[in-house]
Amino acid sequence: MVALWSAVRRRSFDSDRLVAVALALIVAVPLVVFVLLPLAAILERSFATPDGFGLDNYARYFSNDTFVGIIWNSLSVSATTTAITIVLAFWFAYALHRSAMRFKQVFRLIALIPLFAPSLVQALGILFLFGRNGLINRTFDLGIDIYGFWGIVISDVFYSFPHAFLILSAALAVADARIYESAEMLGAKGARVFRTVTLPATKYGLMSATFVVFTIVMTDFGNAMVIGGDFNVLATEIYNQVSGQANFEMGAVVGMILLIPAALAVIVEKWVMRRQVAVIGERSQPLSIRPHRRFDLAMLAYAAFVCACILMVVGMVFYASFVTLWPWNMAPSLKHYTFDVQNGIEPLWTSIWVSLMAAGIGMVFVVGGAIVVDRFRNPLTRALYFLSILPAAVPGMVLGLGYILAFNDPANPIYVIYGTIVILAICNVYHYHAQGFLIATTSVKQISGTFDEASKCLGAGLLRSLRKITVPIIMPSIISIGVFFFMRSMVTLSAVIFLVTPKTQLAAVSVLLIDDSGNHNQAAAFSVCIMFIVAMAVVALHFLMRLLGRRGTGLAQ
Amino acid sequence: MFLQLRNITKRFGAVTAVRKVSLDIEEGLFVCFVGPSGCGKTTLLRLIAGLEEPDEGDILLHGRDLTGLPARKRNFGMVFQSYSLFPNMTVAENIAYGLETRHWTRDALSARVREMLALVQLDDQAHKLPHQLSGGQQQRVALARALAPEPRVLLLDEPLSALDAKVREELRGEIRSLQSKVGVTTIMVTHDQDEAMEMADRIVVLNAGVIEQIGTAVELYNAPATRFVAEFIGRMNIVALPGGQGGAFAALRPQGGIDGDRNLIGVRPEHIQWVSGQDAGDAFIGEIERSVFLGNVTRVTVAVEGQRLLVELPGAATDIGPGTRLSLRIPPEAVHRLAERRPPGGED
Repeated sequence: MVALWSAVRRRSFDSDRLVAVALALIVAVPLVVFVLLPLAAILERSFATPDGFGLDNYARYFSNDTFVGIIWNSLSVSATTTAITIVLAFWFAYALHRSAMRFKQVFRLIALIPLFAPSLVQALGILFLFGRNGLINRTFDLGIDIYGFWGIVISDVFYSFPHAFLILSAALAVADARIYESAEMLGAKGARVFRTVTLPATKYGLMSATFVVFTIVMTDFGNAMVIGGDFNVLATEIYNQVSGQANFEMGAVVGMILLIPAALAVIVEKWVMRRQVAVIGERSQPLSIRPHRRFDLAMLAYAAFVCACILMVVGMVFYASFVTLWPWNMAPSLKHYTFDVQNGIEPLWTSIWVSLMAAGIGMVFVVGGAIVVDRFRNPLTRALYFLSILPAAVPGMVLGLGYILAFNDPANPIYVIYGTIVILAICNVYHYHAQGFLIATTSVKQISGTFDEASKCLGAGLLRSLRKITVPIIMPSIISIGVFFFMRSMVTLSAVIFLVTPKTQLAAVSVLLIDDSGNHNQAAAFSVCIMFIVAMAVVALHFLMRLLGRRGTGLAQ
Repeated sequence: MFLQLRNITKRFGAVTAVRKVSLDIEEGLFVCFVGPSGCGKTTLLRLIAGLEEPDEGDILLHGRDLTGLPARKRNFGMVFQSYSLFPNMTVAENIAYGLETRHWTRDALSARVREMLALVQLDDQAHKLPHQLSGGQQQRVALARALAPEPRVLLLDEPLSALDAKVREELRGEIRSLQSKVGVTTIMVTHDQDEAMEMADRIVVLNAGVIEQIGTAVELYNAPATRFVAEFIGRMNIVALPGGQGGAFAALRPQGGIDGDRNLIGVRPEHIQWVSGQDAGDAFIGEIERSVFLGNVTRVTVAVEGQRLLVELPGAATDIGPGTRLSLRIPPEAVHRLAERRPPGGED
């Protein structure tokens, strides 16, 4: 009783407590509405039957051989692509970090190019080379049929390559020279050192990359759509069910199936991350790379080959965009840049607006979420953390379908923005919420908590501390998060494909539709514009950072 | 009384960081909380600052209860170990921060910032960013920032521990003279007893969340209440008096025998006398194990009946070395009777 009384007495009114709760709610409510609700809608719909709830939809799905075959297709494409990508990306990262070859910076830049393009651009490039009317097929009359399994695999290797490369690069960049020296002192030679030292040290990086690539391929929609032909995978099947046949129940079932590998991948990645920590200790010595002529030359040749392939695929798209009519009239022409198609250049502008909006919303809500979770510890924050990283386990196609099921209903208040570019921007923010949130959290964690305390002691409330100290200090990260959302929104296809209307056509979706209608050159021109805008955003970020850097040095205390 | 703590207890999970601490602080004094790491001194400071809330007990300022009042409304200036200067603001902006939150007028604000800059002698650094300053300069800015809004109490959390020895020495004097000039009641946390003795009007010795003793440097040195204080402030020989009759320390045994708990005595090394021969009746013999020349004194470790005594002899006692037998004497007035430890919440 006494304890209770003293607890009551201590709860004297403090407006900061109110502000903290209010801020937590401001970031929590949209997460519930735009992540949890759509998922719940899919779950509900997948069990919906004409007379209530049941497993009917699942039973129908698994009794149909075609449908079961699609699962198999997805798995085999993903497994094959993952195996190839991991090997290629590992050696590429190895060449960059463990050889003394030249041109490393250039190679690195080229390897990241596929990140700047929508997931269907790789397939587009491959088709310009190996398609029915592809350059190589026609020149040498090889009769290669690239449509289907191998087409998707090759395109997705290009698409997933930079993701794998970045993860493996991080794993290979850190190494403790002392272990390598010990191995050498003990008489181990090249291959043995690799097997006994290098591989174990990068084990977690390899696992993480494997799962990330597997998920990317499994949930990729664009490449499979463009080059898949009659070969259906889960991501295209969900689109066929929903957009083609308006069969939402079946779409929901496919969505649920698609959730499994992605969710698994996230869980495994989390598990791996927790184990990763101890590779490098405080007393580790950085590895110094000594030149080995033959090894370096071999690595140079390999890296150059990989980069040539990437450049070739992107280059074909670039080339095709300047050709009059592939493959019949190869005369150079600028006519595709006049965008003489339905809607004209409008979708590109729509994409830019949506991306800017997503960047704005992302900067406020994602950074806000990271601050709330890291700084105001209260019962809400654990749930908030979980909600914030949950989207990592939700493939775009599933999220997009969830938005239809949850919000395409005049009774829902969100319906007001349904069919506008606002819902597209919001969808992109929550689609990539987990990645943005992790970047933000990392940078919020770097700010010493005593800044907040110092500010408090100087009489500042929570909002003033945020405005005057926390936000200015992490401004560089906030800007990169904005650019991150801009880039993803420019190139994403999977979630928004369900949400675009003729009035809110996006550039990436346009590429798909225009290519589908046979106007490949026009599709290429659109792709080039998207890549150009994304590249400009990256350049802008670079210069902004340098500008901010002047005042921002020595920020981390 | 100016600032009063009454029966303050603070727990972190299963750990009790501060246990029923009561303390009165007079206005205008410079008080040091001193103790080993983990003794609860920083927690106590943070409780006073309002950065933590006590589980039990009250904090009163001029008799008014502060409990539940958030830090930002207390107007207590705080200086952190890591300085915590806002890295995105210049020196002047840092100092002005606490004035802006309290809505000082433009003129008053800029006048106060100039005044503070002059006070810490950083007039020419006003427009630099914190990372462009040395550690000592940063800490002076932190002081200026804390003092600018005319705080009712100034709290310093190990303000010197991040600095190198030379700068630390300088700043000790500087902080002390600054405090006298401004006259603000100041509480400083430190683990360094020399720092506490040099700077404080009152020293509060904390151990395991409990106050062991409060007093001036002289009081703590000359009359330590507990074994912990005796060993923490300066050097002290702790001698366990054996029961029974006779022996080297027979003369030190209190009249009426040993009452179990109080069989510990403390003797400062410099108070043990080296006597020639056995002319004094209460002298005893010890054998030198080790002898270290320290300049002004020679510190000698002497074995006496299985116990070790540290003895400081003035000047260079070069003619004695290990194995030498010395005749020593402990004057009765040099004997401190020590409690093993102080119970929580005990009165002084």
